[in-house]
Amino acid sequence: MKPIVSVRDISKLYHVGRAQSERPSLRQAVTSAVKSPFARLNGRSSDDTIWALKDISFEAMPGEVIGIIGRNGAGKSTLLRVLARITKPSRGEIDIYGRLGTLLEIGTGFHPDLTGRENIFVNGTILGMKVKEIKRKFDEIVAFSEIERFLETPVKHYSSGMYLRLAFSIAAHFEPEVLLMDEIIAVGDINFQEKCFAKMRAVSREGRTIFLVSHNLGSIQSLCKRVLLLRSGRLCEEQDAEKVIALYVNDKEPEETGVKI
Amino acid sequence: MISEKAGVSPSELTNIAPSMPESLHSTISLPEEPLIKIRPSRPWSLIDLRDVWSHRELFALLVWRDLKGRYKQTILGAMWVILQPLLMTLVFTIFLGKLVRVQTGTTPYPLFLYAGLLPWTFFSNAVSSGSYSLLASSQMITKVYLPRLIIPAAAVTVRLSDFLVASVVLIILMRYYGIPLSWQILLLPALVLELTLLALALSALLSALNVKFRDTGTALPVMLQVWMFASPIVYPRDLVPARWEWAYQINPLTGMIEGFRSAFLGLPINRQGLALSWLITTALLVFSMFVFRRLEDEFADIV
Repeated sequence: MKPIVSVRDISKLYHVGRAQSERPSLRQAVTSAVKSPFARLNGRSSDDTIWALKDISFEAMPGEVIGIIGRNGAGKSTLLRVLARITKPSRGEIDIYGRLGTLLEIGTGFHPDLTGRENIFVNGTILGMKVKEIKRKFDEIVAFSEIERFLETPVKHYSSGMYLRLAFSIAAHFEPEVLLMDEIIAVGDINFQEKCFAKMRAVSREGRTIFLVSHNLGSIQSLCKRVLLLRSGRLCEEQDAEKVIALYVNDKEPEETGVKI
Repeated sequence: MISEKAGVSPSELTNIAPSMPESLHSTISLPEEPLIKIRPSRPWSLIDLRDVWSHRELFALLVWRDLKGRYKQTILGAMWVILQPLLMTLVFTIFLGKLVRVQTGTTPYPLFLYAGLLPWTFFSNAVSSGSYSLLASSQMITKVYLPRLIIPAAAVTVRLSDFLVASVVLIILMRYYGIPLSWQILLLPALVLELTLLALALSALLSALNVKFRDTGTALPVMLQVWMFASPIVYPRDLVPARWEWAYQINPLTGMIEGFRSAFLGLPINRQGLALSWLITTALLVFSMFVFRRLEDEFADIV
């Protein structure tokens, strides 16, 4: 079978140091260009650089639910952001043979003054759904979120629980072939969580692929057959969920961020 | 370190985790060619217009969201849209019309003025909100992929509705002064398009710079103020000394403002001026698209 996602030698370089400590202003850019017009030609020697990702390669088959774990700063979120096309890789190539959905956050683009009904359309389209698709699934989304009574209320009057349930419900009814998720499954009370887990399993049974970044090893273990372990921007283990999780738990290496060069 | 969130107890797990199906049978047939190809950024490439076009529904939804959100918050709502050019017309009529006595030929000064302030108000509001649009949408930019160009484009389009509402007031003013509409009103769509494209060019350029250099936004109001007085909006072009003529030639607003006056008030059309302003607008648009594309890849990392 052909992989649906193919990642080849992805690296992402970040410039840190001066650039991050203070925000550049137009005035500074102009004055520094006047003062030292050749600075740009000498490269960015004064900057610190960090490989947030280094030479990452893997493939994902349709229907796989793949967990991505690692310590803070290991590159999990960067990998997800590169896959999601939010930021571009510095090197390497990725091919995706299907529609891509990104859930790094739920409720993206919600307008506080618009009603629940209106925000379903706004958020759904931002996620990547077609208006026709949203109309078709509208009743399902509302039923799943359990907010029927407040459909015509501006979302700024929602309780945080209602807000999250509506946002997740929209996301859960988005059915791309490849779904990227970042630690948002722990939403709402235990009943609603169960509903979400069940939904995700159903999605993968339909042959859709899910990437899940989480610190919650419990949910990773229960959902993912395969786990990628990132350490300092490198992919260091990739196999059965249980083995990788055990490796990660027993990993006593001191915490570090990125690969210093 | 990992224990902080790994807080699902084994008993909970068995509740919510029946074993995964052993064989993953795909019900999805994969296309021959990848739908999405992710490659490292190439500095000076073209904007992917097909990608922008495929997101037209999202563009429409963003415009609709902002229009709806805007009118829900304010009591006067659409009234502001009319009041802004009307109040400016009043102020300039008193100072330039009555005190300085600017001569505008057969056209009454207030009408001459409003016909210039109408496109200008749209333009300056569109550029102001357009150039902040990316910063204002930073949450969206860092959480989901969309062709970023549609964000300033939506901000400009939202302002277009103001222009339409304020145009109705001009028609009413013209009836009051007894000036009929001529066939030249048919030029209006082309003029509105040109003005929108110019506003888009500047919005794209400035919004991208604003992400990288935060003082771009600070400089903008001053720039716009200067630009307004450097264009024949509150005075006719024939008041300008000949040695400044070149500055009016390269200012794309000159041709457009005069074009709007011709279209509404039936004044003679300056074909050369219109052609020149189209040329400069197109050049600016192409330039800004390249700069936008160049800076776009960094947005999510620096916003």
